[in-house]
Amino acid sequence: MTTTVDRLPDVLGLSIPMPDAEERVVGTLRYTVDHSVEGMVHGRLVRSPYPHARIVDVDVSGALALDGVVRVLTGTDLERAVEIPNPYFGLTRRDQAPLAMGRARYVGDPVALVIAETPQSARDGAEAVMVDYDELPYVIDPMEALAAGAPQLHEEWLGNECGEWRLHRGDVDLAMSQASHVFEATYTSPMANAVPFEPHVAIAAWEDDFLEVWTATQWPSAVRGELAHMFDTDPGNVQIRVFPLGGGYGAKSQLKIEPMVAVAAKMVGRPVRLELERDEVFLTTGKHPAVMDIRTGVDEEGRFVAREIDLVYNGGAYAVMTPKAVAQGLLRSIGPYRFPNIRIRSRGVYTNTVPSGSFRGAMTNQAAFAYESHADEIAEGLGIDPFDLRERNLLQEGDVFASGQVMHDIHFQELLHDVAAVIGWGDETTPSPGKAVGKGIAVIVKTTPPGTRSEVRVEMRSDGDVLVHTNSVDMGQGVLGTLAQLTAHHLGVDIGKVRVQDPDSSTFDSMTAGSRTTFVADHAIGEACESIRRQMAELADPDDHPGPHTAVDYQEILLGAGITSLIGEGAYQSTPSDALNNPLDIKGEVADHWHQGAVAVEVAVDVETGKVEILRCHGAAWAGRVVNPVRARQQSEGSIIFGLGPALFEEVIVADGQVTNPNLSDYMIPSIVDVPIELTSSSLESPDRDAAIHGVGEMTIPAVAPAIANAISRATGARVRQMPMTAERVLRAIVGEPE
Amino acid sequence: MIRFVEPRDLQEACAVLADDEWGNKVISGGTALVLMMRQGLIAPSTLVNIGRLQGMDGISRDDARITIGARATHRAIATSPEVMQWIPALADACGRVGNVRVRNVGTLGGNLAEADYAADPPTVLVGLDAVCHVTGPHGARDLPVADLATGFYSTSLGPGEIITAVSVPIGEDRVSAYEKFVSRSSEDRPCVGVFATARYDGSSIEQLRVVVGAAVAVPRLCDDITGSVAGDALDDATIRNMAAAISDAIDPIEDARGSAWYRRKVTAVLVRRAVEGVSR
Amino acid sequence: MSESLTLEVNGEEIVVEVPADEALVNTLRDRLGLRSVRPTCGLGICGTCTVQLDGAVASSCLLLTVQVEGRSIRTSEGLTNDGGLSRVQQAFVDNGAYQCAYCIPGMVVTVEACLAESPDASMEEVREYLAGNLCRCGTYVSILESVTELVRGDR
Repeated sequence: MTTTVDRLPDVLGLSIPMPDAEERVVGTLRYTVDHSVEGMVHGRLVRSPYPHARIVDVDVSGALALDGVVRVLTGTDLERAVEIPNPYFGLTRRDQAPLAMGRARYVGDPVALVIAETPQSARDGAEAVMVDYDELPYVIDPMEALAAGAPQLHEEWLGNECGEWRLHRGDVDLAMSQASHVFEATYTSPMANAVPFEPHVAIAAWEDDFLEVWTATQWPSAVRGELAHMFDTDPGNVQIRVFPLGGGYGAKSQLKIEPMVAVAAKMVGRPVRLELERDEVFLTTGKHPAVMDIRTGVDEEGRFVAREIDLVYNGGAYAVMTPKAVAQGLLRSIGPYRFPNIRIRSRGVYTNTVPSGSFRGAMTNQAAFAYESHADEIAEGLGIDPFDLRERNLLQEGDVFASGQVMHDIHFQELLHDVAAVIGWGDETTPSPGKAVGKGIAVIVKTTPPGTRSEVRVEMRSDGDVLVHTNSVDMGQGVLGTLAQLTAHHLGVDIGKVRVQDPDSSTFDSMTAGSRTTFVADHAIGEACESIRRQMAELADPDDHPGPHTAVDYQEILLGAGITSLIGEGAYQSTPSDALNNPLDIKGEVADHWHQGAVAVEVAVDVETGKVEILRCHGAAWAGRVVNPVRARQQSEGSIIFGLGPALFEEVIVADGQVTNPNLSDYMIPSIVDVPIELTSSSLESPDRDAAIHGVGEMTIPAVAPAIANAISRATGARVRQMPMTAERVLRAIVGEPE
Repeated sequence: MIRFVEPRDLQEACAVLADDEWGNKVISGGTALVLMMRQGLIAPSTLVNIGRLQGMDGISRDDARITIGARATHRAIATSPEVMQWIPALADACGRVGNVRVRNVGTLGGNLAEADYAADPPTVLVGLDAVCHVTGPHGARDLPVADLATGFYSTSLGPGEIITAVSVPIGEDRVSAYEKFVSRSSEDRPCVGVFATARYDGSSIEQLRVVVGAAVAVPRLCDDITGSVAGDALDDATIRNMAAAISDAIDPIEDARGSAWYRRKVTAVLVRRAVEGVSR
Repeated sequence: MSESLTLEVNGEEIVVEVPADEALVNTLRDRLGLRSVRPTCGLGICGTCTVQLDGAVASSCLLLTVQVEGRSIRTSEGLTNDGGLSRVQQAFVDNGAYQCAYCIPGMVVTVEACLAESPDASMEEVREYLAGNLCRCGTYVSILESVTELVRGDR
């Protein structure tokens, strides 16, 4: 798989610009939001103002009377439409309809769709739709939602249950009773919004039985599958087209507005475009709010002997990925440590709020905040240096993970040492007049679920061009450029000749998320290129082209054989595992490979106001082999910056069931001035040239918040167990004034 | 459909405005106005553009006052040599409004007329005894900036009245400081803003004034608490007591930037720092 | 009722007919095809709609097109150098100062204005100037490195 031809310099490890770098910088790059289709009409959603309500009647007459309004669709229309045999969609539970049918389940739940000739008339139409609601009792807090007597969101899922998973190993109760010390704490994270700058936007168009959808999605294969199910048609009749995304970060995973436009286009007989406004993006998806109770028994030397975790994730009104995601949450709550005895319960809950979905660092941010803060609290309690405590407990090669899986290709010690060295752990803190200064560290691990698949098709042409077909979506991580580098590397061709096509459903990719793309694509591309080389060898006349073959040889071989194009297919299918077959007893191989990261930070706290200034920050991720150094660095540093927001000030604030800050003035994301002047990153590599390539897209995010929490604690003695660690929360912790 | 009119002079502008108090709105830089239109908070039928009217954007000085045209942008004020020399706290406050784009386009008159509580310049202007020069359908009048804002997004301007200029007295031996506190990202609007100014007679303070803004609905002038302070350099205890008293006296807002409890805490800190900043 | 106005956009005189409440960002994007200008927050906070108005940066989402009649407007497309990249644009490309790049043209326009005003700007000044241009991908460090090169006159 790694046979390379050395005539051209190997591009692996070079910082080659993205092929469309100039268009990106000048601004001529086309995103989905820039696309239009001849004859298209425009949609505007009418959304529920109540967290829970029966939809008694939707009066569309006022809207229909307006100029330019073509049609208004309601849940009732969907129920009755024969063209839509299966209106409910969802990747874990099909509990969501494009428009609420009978009941609205959160403030913002789409209830009607106005379709009009112009965006303005669609907006006017939406304002003219009159909905009669019968308010129902609602529940926002997950613990209340789980309690007896709580309002039920979905009849089929009693107790508002949205996934429950358990893992146990050893004898926790016994070990706890024998531990020298037991520490316990609860940590909470609210919903955050990924804030992709390009909003959710989609256009659907039908031509007879063939559906074409242009959509800003990270997961074209999922969209295709669910839409095919919705209309009871073959996935071959559904084509999903994706342009580079103006940001994704998980917000564009799963299905969002695609079902609405597909349904609308079907009912109206014209292409329908829907673009969400910024406040609507806040009402569409967000990071799971979570509460994690964590209890740890340790021996005198600070070795973890037992741990108990209880995790509750707020899934919001619809399942989306929650029933499965909370399993990943469970696995990611363990952290990079050895636990001979451990017991974990992880639950998802339905509540009348915005449905939770993917988010960069998914299901790891919340848990890492808890376990890495907890590690420092333990160290503090025992009078041990937090660095030493971690060293004593970090998993090493050959150790057994809590699920029973033997760990390989893990490098937590190296990551810990790297960040500690850069931040000068143990050295004096940076003088900062009038402020309390401290340093903090965190090390994290994220599982990559087994059983994923990635297909690639490489097409070598007689004119020398090499086309690569994948279903990977570019959302700024430069994946298409990275895939070009990998292809050039594996085939030994000039990277200038490699063109990676936009995703188009002709190949399958489980999803562009979870930092898995580079890892799996490397395997798939390697296989596809190996196939091409084998086919070339068969075609070649050994006298003319004795081999090993170079790019020039390839062209000549094809021309000589009268062939314009030669196709090689490759796939990476990670071994499925049965570890998750029994939700109440997870056991076995739970990760395909391990994402590993660490962050160290130095903060200066104004103890009178609680304001935290990040003086220095360094993140390290295990890369294995770096494909493109500049891009790896962008991803690492970008991740840290992305993590600063939820750590310090990002929070979707819900009051009386309403999101009160669905805009960028009341929900603030980090600016250039919020970034520490000294922000650095390392992508650690293996000396082995054939080492596995690990994605670095989100490895440092989960470690940012706990590193800051730990630094604040070391600086001021105050411990904040709630994200975001706003100045107010820090001050309250310092003066001891609860909220 | 909305109309956009460009009056030839101020009188015409006032007349059009007075014609329909709710439907006809002044547009100057337009940053706040367009924003409110976009959010559906206002729905004017006519926009009265004063953006090209002559003589409303200059900055001039005589022995007694600096006069700033209402259409002067925050950027122009922040970088004006006159303002920087004579009322540096105002240059500082204007230089920290929003971001560079807002400062390039947004005007001081617009800022005052909007009466947004989370703003910087009004806090400073109130503390400096600034005066608003206003023209209306019935002529011109002056009013202290302190009397302009009456509540959330409301002012004491009458129908058809337009702020034409703001003037600030100068020439005294004065030290001023503006402390702005943002609680979240660096680009956040102010959570608390405190302006302190001390007028000196030699080394002795003749008058100490503190204004609290952004934490409250309209800038809170604290003469009732600071009025009795005078004399030689303030000692720590006096400053702390003053800060505590002001913190107790304000009626703080609760919003995404902070609770009432938090704003009280931060106000006390900023008052202390601002007053220390003007002590010689 | 629509107004017929003459605008100067990227050096060219253009006549458009727009309703009085049309925002400049929409005129530039939808009528003139200048897609580098993007509405994202609608509040003038994010900077992806930044244009130069007579050389000074402004949020085109907060300007009505009728307000800017006769004034000179420049977008990233208009900063190119005879079809090639400007110094600033080239510096961004060479330093990899882009990821999803939705915010980058706004950054380019702002950096151009900053350096035009202040060719020797310090890093502190540049950071303050760029404070109102948000980047969710977190490309800030590479952007600052590009500007450092430009200020030093490395290109």
